[in-house]
Amino acid sequence: MAALWKTCHQCLRYGLSHKSFYPSVSAINVISKRNFKPRWVAPTLREIKRRKDVEDDRNGGPKIFHRSTFLEWNYDAEIFAFSNRLGEKFNEATLRTALTHKSYVERETARLSDIGVDSYLQIQNNEELAVAGGALISKFTNGYLRAVFTRVPEELIMAMHDFLTSTSNLEIVGKHIGLGDLMLCSDFPCESETYVKSLKAVVAALAESSGEERARIFVQDLVVTQLYGLDINELWNPADPVGNLTDILKREGKAEPEFRLIKHSGQNSVLAVYYVGVYSDKNFIAEGAGESLEIAKEMAAREALKQLFHTEDSMKALPFGRQLKNIQSKIVQLENQPNLPLSKWISEKVTSAVH
Amino acid sequence: MSNKHLFLPSGFIRTPLQNGLGRYIPQLQRITLKFCKNHGGSRGVRDFIETDLMEFAKTNPGTVVYLKPRRHRYPCMVAEYLNGEREYLSCHEFSRAEIQKWLSYMCTRSGIPVMRFRKYQHTDYPSIQGVWNPFTHQAPEINVAQFPHEILSKPVDNGPTATDQLIEIFKKTQIKDPVKPEH
Repeated sequence: MAALWKTCHQCLRYGLSHKSFYPSVSAINVISKRNFKPRWVAPTLREIKRRKDVEDDRNGGPKIFHRSTFLEWNYDAEIFAFSNRLGEKFNEATLRTALTHKSYVERETARLSDIGVDSYLQIQNNEELAVAGGALISKFTNGYLRAVFTRVPEELIMAMHDFLTSTSNLEIVGKHIGLGDLMLCSDFPCESETYVKSLKAVVAALAESSGEERARIFVQDLVVTQLYGLDINELWNPADPVGNLTDILKREGKAEPEFRLIKHSGQNSVLAVYYVGVYSDKNFIAEGAGESLEIAKEMAAREALKQLFHTEDSMKALPFGRQLKNIQSKIVQLENQPNLPLSKWISEKVTSAVH
Repeated sequence: MSNKHLFLPSGFIRTPLQNGLGRYIPQLQRITLKFCKNHGGSRGVRDFIETDLMEFAKTNPGTVVYLKPRRHRYPCMVAEYLNGEREYLSCHEFSRAEIQKWLSYMCTRSGIPVMRFRKYQHTDYPSIQGVWNPFTHQAPEINVAQFPHEILSKPVDNGPTATDQLIEIFKKTQIKDPVKPEH
């Protein structure tokens, strides 16, 4: 034991990092330089790591510590940096309330009453702010989707909205703006619900401090941008595309869709492919490919619907950030105005998006 | 030519949370400068703290700067990023300018570990006219053609072959009316 302590001192003297004395973190990257260490250093460190790993396995994983347990921690400075990082001005009291959870308040009251101090803590929690913020995020997301996807039926808008406001998406957003260290909650490591609640409360706090306009831009910049690179047709597909296409063409007064086989190959093999085209009154609308005739027919109908809704693979790129400046008023207008549902969809009633 | 000998991980350029698409959020969450108040190896760090640190803090209000004066310890900086990654750098015997340089390096990083970029460009639309498949440029007539077909059964006409061209050249070099030798 004494020998180990002495070697540790020698490690320090030779200027090694204090990695073994730091609380365990998942990754610590060292910008390495050329260092020539004595022969015994590597084997010693190897042995220390081996013993540490044995202990960690016995305790069910490495010990984790909250960032606030470190000596270098200043909550006021962290709050200041948080608002500056996002480029927003918060009312500090509202922001602190938004980051305080009910579980934390309960834990603190319980702790004080255990000691013997029976005081009713005046700290507010973020329950109401979270509810308000959730409604705001939902509203702003819908406004953006309806303004950008003007020709899309309401079912797809709802699917995209559900994805953007899902727990997993909001949790990722919350984690990457630094909420993990700032939240006051009793659970550690923090659960997804806690992150989501904090983010919603922060949005509500921003709306209270700087106005709804800033909160809208905040949601557009952080939540809605997660739509980038996503294939929206993966989120939702009509259940009966052939029937839907027939209904839409009938409503528009056009001829019934006619499906014709365009190309095929490898019919008797495993890799059979059929290309089926949709025609209306001998005008080509779209074609789809599939392993069998039925699949190809369905894909062709889906392609035709995609062309009507302007959601093909070659559709226009989505606008984000500064590109939304011109359509902000339209976004506000469409926040409470749902798109046409699939059962009532008709191209005369939809306008093409200009952005 | 290959990069298999490198232990450096490789990948495509990416950014956490689509940073920059909506607004740019500086990814450096906090930076801790540890130094000794007395030892010579920390001189650069001490000079930096006395002169350039305030300006750095003012230009990066989104980053928290912690100072840890620790006796008999070598100077170092630990940068923590929003995605949870940490970077440790020993600043022993660094000059003030070097500290400034490395600090600005830490500021502009995203926290994603250093990796070899496989490509320096990226596009969301790799194909404009559509990816080629065997049915591209095929005549639609093959669908209802009866084989053997007088046009479609033959190989695609690509013009005269090299042999044909040589025969043509040879024929041109021949004298048209050979003069009969007079006896």
